[in-house]
Amino acid sequence: MGRPGVEGTVVGRPLTEAELVERAKRGDQDAYGDLMHAYQGIAFRTAFLLTGNAADAEDAAQSAFVKAFYALGRFRAGAELRPWLLRIVANEARNRRRSAGRRTNLALRAAAAVPSGGAAPSPESSLLDSERQSELLAAVNGLREEERDVVACRYFLELSEEETAETLGLRKGTVKSRLSRALDHLRERMEVDDV
Amino acid sequence: MSELELALTRIGTELEYPETPDLTAVVRRRLAEGRRPIAWRKPLVVALAVLAVAVGAVMAVPQARSEILDWFGIGAVEIRYVEDLPAVELATGDLGVGEEVSLEEARSRVRFPVRVPTLEGLEDPVVYYAEPLPTGQVSFVYGTPEKPQLLITQVAALGAYEKLVHVGSSKIEPVSVDGAQGVWVEGEHHALFYPGAEREEPFRLVGNTLVFERADGVTVRIEADVSKEEALRIAQSMR
Repeated sequence: MGRPGVEGTVVGRPLTEAELVERAKRGDQDAYGDLMHAYQGIAFRTAFLLTGNAADAEDAAQSAFVKAFYALGRFRAGAELRPWLLRIVANEARNRRRSAGRRTNLALRAAAAVPSGGAAPSPESSLLDSERQSELLAAVNGLREEERDVVACRYFLELSEEETAETLGLRKGTVKSRLSRALDHLRERMEVDDV
Repeated sequence: MSELELALTRIGTELEYPETPDLTAVVRRRLAEGRRPIAWRKPLVVALAVLAVAVGAVMAVPQARSEILDWFGIGAVEIRYVEDLPAVELATGDLGVGEEVSLEEARSRVRFPVRVPTLEGLEDPVVYYAEPLPTGQVSFVYGTPEKPQLLITQVAALGAYEKLVHVGSSKIEPVSVDGAQGVWVEGEHHALFYPGAEREEPFRLVGNTLVFERADGVTVRIEADVSKEEALRIAQSMR
């Protein structure tokens, strides 16, 4: 997170996230740029998972970062910045999804989607081979929106339950129950009883 | 973590994500261009709940009702011209918009689409849900609870509220919001109350108000002490 102008004033030590936030709160757009650089990847992926559309995701993430800058005054010192930012991103993304009235299904990378062929998968990896991955992803795509969102945040983005709750504006208990329902539905659709 | 959960986590690493665009440059440019600030003038003003009783009494007495000169409806809001508004003691305080909830929860509780302003410069609102009507009501409050700057309320109902407008000191102007019919009420002498609700519901004096009924039957009230143009910008940005 090197930024010469800042490091020049704090000799030998990059600024911490909390210090960058404090500077950004005072209107320092360079400091905010460093924060954006750190979080733009997950912000864009979050928006993409919720919209399923690259253009909407980019627009949502951009708007979220602009809104977040102006809302920094309300960010509580000592709180986790990532879920706070992601909540704004998720709101923007879902607004666009709702406005568009559609969501493109998620897909696997081409290399990952090609069946491996040849070697028989071990029993343990029965759900991990490419064909099963495609089936599982199709099942995720078929979930209700509210269940798919928690699955995407919790497993695809690997957010904690707390972060998932904050990102989606839900109570932690709601995240747990939706995840539980979503896993049940996926098990039914995959007809896998032993997972 | 079960095998299914592990498989889902693995899929997360195999998804086809578009390349992350350079958001930093674009956002910094947008920030450098500066937002067009919302021209807040003063916080919304609310009156004490007990004053609703006075209004209820006015509306209940036939001779007082005769002072209503005319009325018309915009979706959930019936607007009535009156010669006299009851004297009220102004106070800031509870806007009477219900319990604070997340946007997600608010959306899950109502059956109508809840839209959010996307106008640049507006922060994310604090969201409230209330049930003055069976269909529910969702409100967005901007600013602080002590000094709300903007209140947006969405409800799907007909004739749920009455707005009293003093004929002499407030003006009403028809407007169109993306083709939806609405009115702009400007001036300090107008008030809103809930004719069908318990009389302890707060009676509110508000800032200038834009009311319009969307094509999907949702009535949107935007209350803020801003100009008509600012209110229309907010309304048109709702997605």
